[in-house]
Amino acid sequence: MGFNVSFSKRNNENFYLPGQEIKISRGTISSKNYTTESDNVMTCRTRTIVTLCFFALAYLILGIRVSYVCLGKGINIDAAISEVTDKDVFRFRNPVKRADILDRNGEIIATSLPTVNLYANTKQIKNPQDVAEKLNYVFPDISYEEFEKKLSRRGAFIYLKRNLSPAQQMQVNNLGIPGLEFENCETRIYPHKNLFAHVLGKTNVDNEGISGLEKYMNERLTSSTKPLHLTVDLGIQNKIRDELIAGVKQFNAEGAAAILMNVKNGQVVSLISVPDYDPNENVKVAERPMFNFATKGIYEAGSVFKVFNTALSLESGKVKVTDRFDTSHPVYYGRLRVTDPHGSHGRLTPEDILVESSNIGSSLEISLVGKKFQRKFLQSINMDKALDEFELPEIAKPQFLSESRWGEVSMVTISYGYGISSTPLHIISAFSAVVNGGLYRQPTLLEDSKHKSKRVVSQQTSESMRALLRAVVVRGTGKRANVDGYQVIGKTGTADKLENGRYNHKKSISTFISAFPESDPKYALIVVMDDPKASKETYGYTTAGWNAVPISKNIISAVAPQLNVKADFDIEKQKSIVDAAYKAKK
Amino acid sequence: MGKFKMTMFGLWLTLTLMVALGSSVLKNRVQVLERKLATINSNIQDDIAQIHVLKAEWSHYNTPDRLRKLAYEQLSLENAKPEQIINYSALHFNYEDGRTSSAVRSDKKGLTTLVKAEVKKN
Repeated sequence: MGFNVSFSKRNNENFYLPGQEIKISRGTISSKNYTTESDNVMTCRTRTIVTLCFFALAYLILGIRVSYVCLGKGINIDAAISEVTDKDVFRFRNPVKRADILDRNGEIIATSLPTVNLYANTKQIKNPQDVAEKLNYVFPDISYEEFEKKLSRRGAFIYLKRNLSPAQQMQVNNLGIPGLEFENCETRIYPHKNLFAHVLGKTNVDNEGISGLEKYMNERLTSSTKPLHLTVDLGIQNKIRDELIAGVKQFNAEGAAAILMNVKNGQVVSLISVPDYDPNENVKVAERPMFNFATKGIYEAGSVFKVFNTALSLESGKVKVTDRFDTSHPVYYGRLRVTDPHGSHGRLTPEDILVESSNIGSSLEISLVGKKFQRKFLQSINMDKALDEFELPEIAKPQFLSESRWGEVSMVTISYGYGISSTPLHIISAFSAVVNGGLYRQPTLLEDSKHKSKRVVSQQTSESMRALLRAVVVRGTGKRANVDGYQVIGKTGTADKLENGRYNHKKSISTFISAFPESDPKYALIVVMDDPKASKETYGYTTAGWNAVPISKNIISAVAPQLNVKADFDIEKQKSIVDAAYKAKK
Repeated sequence: MGKFKMTMFGLWLTLTLMVALGSSVLKNRVQVLERKLATINSNIQDDIAQIHVLKAEWSHYNTPDRLRKLAYEQLSLENAKPEQIINYSALHFNYEDGRTSSAVRSDKKGLTTLVKAEVKKN
């Protein structure tokens, strides 16, 4: 099929409509060739009219619709607005760019408020003295001289005062001074003041995180205004801090730290280090209150390490819970003489070694296991590295001996807690693994954290360890932490303080690490007292059993009911309590 | 000018005027709506700022120390002690099926009345 197209010879005298000179002969379609020249004018006219009608119709429809929409009630504007789903229509600017931080119950623990900064364009200020005088009247906390000095400088942007209150802003506006301008900004507020100082840290004047979680999560907090949910609990944090402050006061200690951790998932419910500071205040804070002992304070934990020593001994299979070790005489390892500070105890089982906190017993246990297994085990519970994945910048790397220096003497001293320095965070993370069934979980402060777990001891070793540690609380150094109904397990530790590379026998750091309940531990708690002093109440002792342990008891008694941990009371005893309560009412 | 052309001219003129008027009104209404939207956006922004302040204030009022003090002063409430948290089975009244235990039923001057009164009161 084809078309034969030919052009008619142009006759300049004739008017040709477009296409008229093109003739199409359909020779191949039809046997009869014909031209359309005679119908061309008519065809064009018809087509033009059809096109015009089409456009007129379209124009009419458009006109009617526009009139209907605009003059009539074609569109219900309010209904149309309510149907808007495109959020871009609402182009409002959130005056606050830094996200809030919430505790695990959704309580705000850090938020930002929109404020303004006052600055001056001194080129527009003709009488700096007069302006300084007026500003000094509005801001009595800033001297006249300071204002005058700033206003005498030449510049288009000189800060005069940051974070004005709305009332102050109005007062400055009312002065009506040209050259005084406001800059929109935001300021960080910590409604609970010191309570989360070491968890949250603080921000600088530009609202950038400079310490704590504010620094570690700075990018997340500034990239989205969606609140950041933490694992910490406001009420529990407050209770533990109160107890620690009371303890520091009672025992005249230099400081204290505590961490409460969920052993099932590694979530930190509370983390406190005292002394602390108020992050709302923009003043220079002394070194000690700024120091987060809970995550950065590395120290030799002393007998608390016997927990890990016993766990690794049982895990190795070379020590059994029924074995007995003769601790009646000091033991020598080269020039090292190992003794028990509390005197001779005779033949002790691993349980007795923990209950009596026997150095000799611990050294005998590790002698059976060997340094290779010991080192490997301590590495598996992260005692050799900083806990980088924990969401605080203030973390420390434990002092872990190199393999060449890990001799027999080191092996023995490490078995009872000397030779390795670590942080309370390291200790509680490792302890949680020992008692929770054997799984090591990275500690975390974030609710949506997905850290992986790893097995460090078997289920059986973990169960055995829980039973041994229960004995420490029932009849050992931790008996002052025996809270009725909660089957507390734990271990005390008191170590001389290392100062400038030498042990100061007059100063000590006492630790009590515990978990509850024994049958299925849910929470672990570590309480560390830095240099507690002896008193009449402690009969001259400074060991953990007299300070860290009773503080732990107070904490567990107060927080366990809040944590929904089921108390295991004797039903008959409970019935008698109910009876007594009702009879008293009667 | 022919009748047809006059009709067409009239039609086009009418349509043009309709569209022009309609467009003008439409533009005006859009401008009004845009101003309304700008006001809404501005109000939302102010409300957000206000909400931030209120949230901070609410959090400030909810500090545990303050709540504890108020609870103690106004409601005579103290921290719950572990021994105060008891099992249902320790109660003489069975809350689930609404019956008292046999021990209490056998006791004529038992605790039933007291417990029921207590439950009713609460």
